Amino acid sequence: MKEIKLPILPTTSVGSFPKPDYLVKARNQYARGLIPYSTLHELELKATEEVIRLQEEIGIDILVHGEMERGDMATYFAENLEGFTISGLVRSYGNRYYKKPIVIGKIRRTKPITVDMFKYAQSLTKKPVKGMLTGPYTIADWSFNEYYDNKRDLVLDLAEVINQEALDLEKAGALFVQIDEPAVPTHPEEIEIAKEAFKITTRGLRSFLITHICYGDFRPIWKEVVNFPVHQFDLEFTNNADKLYPLIENEGFPREKYIAVGVIDVHSHRIESVDEIKARIKEALKHFNPEQVFIDPDCGLKTRTWEEAKAKLENMVKAVMEVREELVKQGYPSEITIKLDL
Amino acid sequence: MIITVVDHYPKIPNPPREPKLRKAIHAYDQGKITKEELEKIFDEVTQEVIEEQISAGVELITDGQIRWEDGQSYIARKLEGTQIGGLIRYFDNNTYYRQPVIVGEIKWKEPIIVEDWKKAQKWAGSIPVKAVLTGPYTLGRLSRDEYYKNLEKLVKAYTNALIEETKLLEENKVKYLQFNEPSIQYYPEDIDLLIEVYKEIRKYFSGNLAIYTYFHTVIPIKNRLKDLPVDTFGIDFVSRKENFEIIQEFPKNLALGYGIVDARNTKLETPEQIASLIKKALECIPEDKLFVNPSCGLEYLPRERAYDKLVNLVKGVNLVRGERK
Repeated sequence: MKEIKLPILPTTSVGSFPKPDYLVKARNQYARGLIPYSTLHELELKATEEVIRLQEEIGIDILVHGEMERGDMATYFAENLEGFTISGLVRSYGNRYYKKPIVIGKIRRTKPITVDMFKYAQSLTKKPVKGMLTGPYTIADWSFNEYYDNKRDLVLDLAEVINQEALDLEKAGALFVQIDEPAVPTHPEEIEIAKEAFKITTRGLRSFLITHICYGDFRPIWKEVVNFPVHQFDLEFTNNADKLYPLIENEGFPREKYIAVGVIDVHSHRIESVDEIKARIKEALKHFNPEQVFIDPDCGLKTRTWEEAKAKLENMVKAVMEVREELVKQGYPSEITIKLDL
Repeated sequence: MIITVVDHYPKIPNPPREPKLRKAIHAYDQGKITKEELEKIFDEVTQEVIEEQISAGVELITDGQIRWEDGQSYIARKLEGTQIGGLIRYFDNNTYYRQPVIVGEIKWKEPIIVEDWKKAQKWAGSIPVKAVLTGPYTLGRLSRDEYYKNLEKLVKAYTNALIEETKLLEENKVKYLQFNEPSIQYYPEDIDLLIEVYKEIRKYFSGNLAIYTYFHTVIPIKNRLKDLPVDTFGIDFVSRKENFEIIQEFPKNLALGYGIVDARNTKLETPEQIASLIKKALECIPEDKLFVNPSCGLEYLPRERAYDKLVNLVKGVNLVRGERK
C-alpha cells in the first residue's frame, strides 16, 4: 500500500509545454538531416529539465515532463511502434500541417517508448511526475488505416501495446499514469470499442490512473465514460463549462472519483487574472467536493509561448493558494491522501 | 454520370515539390511579403490544383478552396456582424476551424467567392467549375451566437446574406452551385428548417443547385430528402456504410452525389472496387442523375494521395462507361 499526500486542490498540467526556440530549430535541422539525433536528444533533455524547473518554481504539485520529444501526440507513438509508417503533410488548421500515422501492418511494440524520458524527468525532482500516454482509440482514430479490416481490431491491438507501456511506466516508478483519449467523444457510435479498449489498456495497473478527454460532446456517452476504470477525469471546464456543468448536474459524477478541472484557456494569448481563475475554481466547487478536485489548464500548453504558459500557470497557482486558505478556514483539511495498492 | 469532387483540395504538396503557399502565408504573417504577393501565390496554387484535377480526369471541379482557412471563417470574415473566435474541432476530424462569433446583425457586405469562381473558371477553360459555399444551416450550427440567441433566426440571417452571393453567382452564369450542409445529419429534427431555407435560395438560382453532406448518417432524414428544392444531394457512403440503404429509395427528383472514395483514409481504392460500387448505384439511379465523387473534401489527405485517389476514381468510372457502350 502506498499513500500519497497532496495539498487540497492539487495543481497539475495536462501534458505538453511549448517547445523552446532552440528545440524548434533543432527539430527542424534534424528533420532535414543537418544534425544527428544525439544532438537533438541533448536539447530535448535540456528543455525537459527547464520544464521541470519551471513547474517547481511556480509551485505545481504533480509535474509533467512537457513532451519535448513529441511532435504530435498520436504520431509520436506511431513513430515508435512496428506496423506504422508516417504520411506526407496533412493540414491541421490554417497554415499548420502535420504528418499523420499510417497503419501498414500488425501493430507491435518492440521497445518501451516513454520510459526513459519519464525516468529522466522524475530523476530531476522529488515531486511526482506523470507518465503520459495517448490512448489506443485516439491513436487509431487519428491514423490512416491501410491494414486492419476494421477499426475495432486496430484499436484493440493498440490497447495491448499501450497497456505494456503503462505497466513499464509503473515499474519505472510512475505513481500517476495519464492516458489521453480526446477522440472518444467524437464517435459516440463507437463507444463500445473505446470502452473495451480502455479496459485492456488499464489491465493490471495499480498506479493513479487519469484520462484527459477534450473537445467533445459527452451527452450521448457520459454514462459510459464515467465508468471507465480510472481514478480521475481531466476535462476542459473553461471552454466547455456551458456543456459540462449542466451535464454533471443532470447525470451526476461518481463521488469516489477525482476530477481535474481545467481553469485556463490554452487557446488564448490572454493571461487570465487570479480573480478570474478563482471564480472558475469556485464554480467547480459548487459541483464537486473539494477533496475530489485537482486544478489544471484545459489542455496541453504547447500552442502558447513559453512566457504565456508560465504566466498562466503562475496565476493558476496563486488562485489555488487563495482558495485553499479559504477552504481550510471553512474546516476542510489542508491535505488529501491517495491510497494506492502499489 | 459526372465525375466530380466535393470541395477542398490539399494546398501544399510534399517534397520534392515546394510548399510555396505555406511559406508565403508565413512570410505574409511576418510582414515579409505584401498582400499582393500573397494573392499572386494563391492564384498560382489555385491554377496548379485546377490543372491537377483536370489531369486526373475530374469533369466538374472546384477551385480547391485554396484561399479558405476553413469552411466557416472564410465566409464569416466577409460578412457584417461577425467576429472570428477560437479554434474548434471540425466534427470528428483531427482538424480545426476558427469559430465565427455572431456579435451583431449578419449582413452581406462584399463578394465572398464570386471573384474566386470567375478566375477559376477562366483557368479551367472548358471544364466547368462549381461554386461551393458552406450552407447557412451549417454556418449557424458551427457559429457561436451572442446576438440572435436563436438558431432559426441565425440560420435565416445567414441565408439572407448568402442569397446576395447567390444572386451574384447567378448573374455571372454559374452553372453549378453547391452548399455544404453536414450539420443537418447531426440534428435531423431541423430538416424543416433546412427545407424552408433552400426554398428561399432556390428562387435566386436557376442552375444545378446541390446540397452536400458528409461524415455522418443520412438515414434519419431520408424520407424528407424529396422535399428539398434542389437538384443534387450528396452523401458520404464511406464514413457510414448504412447510407447505402438509401440507394434503392433515393428520390427520383434528385441527382445523387455518390461519395464512394474515402477522402479520410490513404488506403487506395482500386478501379475495380469503384466500378463495382458505381454499378450498384446504377441499378437504382439513372446515369444522368449520378455524380461520382470522394466522400468529402480531399484536404484530409496528403496531396499526392488525393491525386492518386482521383485517378483511380476516374479509371473506375471509365471501366463502367466502357462496359455500357
